[in-house]
Amino acid sequence: MQRERLRALGLLAPAYLWLTVAVFLPLSAMGFFSLLTDVPFGNREWSFTFHNYTEFLSTGTYATLLWKSLRLAFWVTVWCVLLGFPCAFVLARVIKGRSREALFLLVILPFWSNSLVRIFSWAVVLRGNGVLDRAVNAVLPWDIKLNLMFSQQAMIIGLVHSYLPYVILTTYLSLQAIDDSLIEAARSLGARKRTILWRLILPLSAPGLIAGAVLVFVPVVGSFMEPRLLGGRVGTTYGTLIEDQFVAVFNWPLGAALSFILLAVVLLILAAASPVLRRVQA
Amino acid sequence: MIWHGLGRAYVGLILIFLYAPIIVMAVMSLNASEFYQLPFTFSTQWYERLFTNEEILGAAWRSVWIATVVAGVATVLGTMAAIALWRHDFPGKRALQALLFPPIAVPWLITGTAMLIFFFGIGLGRGTPAVILGHVALALPYVIVVVTARLQSLDRALEEAARSLGAHPWLVTRAVTLPHAAPGIIAGALFAFAVSFDQFVVSYFLAEPGDSTLPVLIYTAIRKGFTPEINAISTIIIVFSMGLMLLAARYARFGGDR
Amino acid sequence: MKTLLTTTAFALIAPMALADEIRVLNWQGYGTDLDWAVAAYTEATGNTVVHEYFTSEQEMLTKLRTNPGAYDVVLINSAFTGQAQAEGLIAPIDTAKIANFKDVDPALAANQDLSPGGALHGVPWTWGLTSFAVNTGDFPTAPTSVSVFWDPAFKGRVSIRDDALEAVQFAALATGQNINDITYMAAVKAKLTELMPQIATFWGAETDWNQNMAAGQFAAATYWSGSAARSISEGLPVAFVVPDEGAIGWLDGLSIPATSTKQDAALSFIDWMIDPQFYVRWDAEGAPATSNIVAAAALPEDSFNRKVLGDPAVVARVQFMRPVSDEKRAEYLALWQELKAAQ
Repeated sequence: MQRERLRALGLLAPAYLWLTVAVFLPLSAMGFFSLLTDVPFGNREWSFTFHNYTEFLSTGTYATLLWKSLRLAFWVTVWCVLLGFPCAFVLARVIKGRSREALFLLVILPFWSNSLVRIFSWAVVLRGNGVLDRAVNAVLPWDIKLNLMFSQQAMIIGLVHSYLPYVILTTYLSLQAIDDSLIEAARSLGARKRTILWRLILPLSAPGLIAGAVLVFVPVVGSFMEPRLLGGRVGTTYGTLIEDQFVAVFNWPLGAALSFILLAVVLLILAAASPVLRRVQA
Repeated sequence: MIWHGLGRAYVGLILIFLYAPIIVMAVMSLNASEFYQLPFTFSTQWYERLFTNEEILGAAWRSVWIATVVAGVATVLGTMAAIALWRHDFPGKRALQALLFPPIAVPWLITGTAMLIFFFGIGLGRGTPAVILGHVALALPYVIVVVTARLQSLDRALEEAARSLGAHPWLVTRAVTLPHAAPGIIAGALFAFAVSFDQFVVSYFLAEPGDSTLPVLIYTAIRKGFTPEINAISTIIIVFSMGLMLLAARYARFGGDR
Repeated sequence: MKTLLTTTAFALIAPMALADEIRVLNWQGYGTDLDWAVAAYTEATGNTVVHEYFTSEQEMLTKLRTNPGAYDVVLINSAFTGQAQAEGLIAPIDTAKIANFKDVDPALAANQDLSPGGALHGVPWTWGLTSFAVNTGDFPTAPTSVSVFWDPAFKGRVSIRDDALEAVQFAALATGQNINDITYMAAVKAKLTELMPQIATFWGAETDWNQNMAAGQFAAATYWSGSAARSISEGLPVAFVVPDEGAIGWLDGLSIPATSTKQDAALSFIDWMIDPQFYVRWDAEGAPATSNIVAAAALPEDSFNRKVLGDPAVVARVQFMRPVSDEKRAEYLALWQELKAAQ
């Protein structure tokens, strides 16, 4: 038993040590800042306070934008799951051989393009007189002006596009591991397709699907670049608030506090969802 | 069989969606308009300008090799951690899993600023080692989550059976665990590469000026107005990566057995 | 031209054969990093120039605070010079070592914001206006009032920058107030609230401004005069307008960090930056106005800066920005965030 523990430690230590030095300690410094009135360098006066945290409760704007970001992340996650699961399913169970390897890689490739360039490319597609507008007008006999830019839809399209591959790939990893013989056995026992899907495939693919959903939901809550560029006037998010504390004013303590509130809310949501998710898994 | 056909068509549609902006990006790199305006007029001027633009080429190259190093390191460390988390139960395991979230949940602006201050405080300062330190830390959670998800489908009993037959733990890992986890490990490595390659906030804070990475260059160029040269380099990178991947797909099997 | 610069350079850098590397901290694409300018400077003085950029003034201050000794020349807007000096980040400037300083507009050289504590801490370099530009497709004749932003005919086609201070000052102009001493914040808030439904998006930088204007997404959008000059010279169908209500004026200065070890080299670079040879060529590509009277007079008749900013009637309508206290900034930011969140 002791040796087991040591082995576990040996495997875990490098990664977590790295994370400690590079992330946890720096974030602790930020956590410390969040309890101050001002940053403790550059000859500035500072003292301890909870004000940065209570400000969240007393200012309606912060809560409004947090709720908006959570809602945005929710919808983006839902779309990613709805669009991604069937795609992963087909990839894992229908397509075979070399083309599957190739497709697996092709799904990841868009990740390697620069996110800013991608957003501007979406602008070219979605705006008035853009690719979509011209394409639709070329096909349809009557004239319609299609301008999707600076809207909720544009934000969701851009974000779903950026995060969909996570869901497709993680779900694929779980789906692909499902043993064929299990499905065969179920079928030979007379189970209908729907039952197989619902009682066998879904639970077994859940770990991947959930992992993908989490990798989408968590970052989107804090995002601000895509929302601003694609959402325009309606594209202000909680992430914008945090950025403002670093860019528009010099208030790192408030920015840090807002980030930790974000982190706490996200962890709470995941913790609350975890019993449900546990039951979904086989 | 018709379902299979529909399924394939669906995957095709998804791929079109995923590649739409990529294709637009590539097309715009061959478009004469400096302001990304249609109608399209063919021009190779951006590629010509690109090849004399040492700054962009240097930044692109730097991004590529940093991302390669990061992917390598993060995959190794992340896989080890994922195996440990899957294989063993111990008190504090849930806490360790929860600790994977801060790097993904906390906006990179905060993490980047925090890293900057902390690295200065410990004397590491800025520069490529700091950038790699930061990138690996941001990529680790992705690798761990993905490999863990894949490992969930492996029955621990298989490992225990092998062990009870007298196999050395390392042999068990190599022969039982790793092959099953392989697609997850590869996916994790590709994600880690993507996280590093597209990372601009943390790089922006930690990179030595003059030693920029491509995303940082693009990000700061927004202020002045970036030109389609950026599309040109991005297109080259994507085409090159696609070639690499298709080659890999031809010669390796990592989508899993079957 | 080379002889002039060489003589100047040798005049102020005592005969030393050692070449320095100077680090310049500035916005990207804002004059100091032009290839030909840097090359000419290096050829004349032997000093090499390395640039580092910032994307916001707060970032510039942070970089100065956290990187002592890393920079030799820094661009600081006059509204921030006082703050930088108060924090001990920048050093007084020895103008005797800057040959071109004698040609700097005396009014700008005497600007109080650039001389906190009575000593000059920032050499006046460029100035310009924050006003607005219109799409000539929508406006065959240029408008004369800022009220076009509130015109329902352009609903969903106007844009202002995503900056709390600029938004508040813009609304202050529109409500006829002094931008540096706003007495009726309620009027500003009301004006901005009315503006919100008109807005397509908040632009953030030249890239999205140019692309959206070119695509016809904007009919009117706030912009800086120097950037407008650049966009026009690149062929964008826009016209810059200084309306009856006035415009916001700003002044950028080149300062030297207190911790710089190469102050003489820094001074020679600043001298080159206010040199007419540099400026006239930069202006052709689109630049803000210069502080050097000789340089301004050397501009061609049809140059944007000469036409727009050389007109005394226009300059009379300009309100120059003064420093803004941290409390005011926070107050404006809170208002701005509240307005944006309600969308």
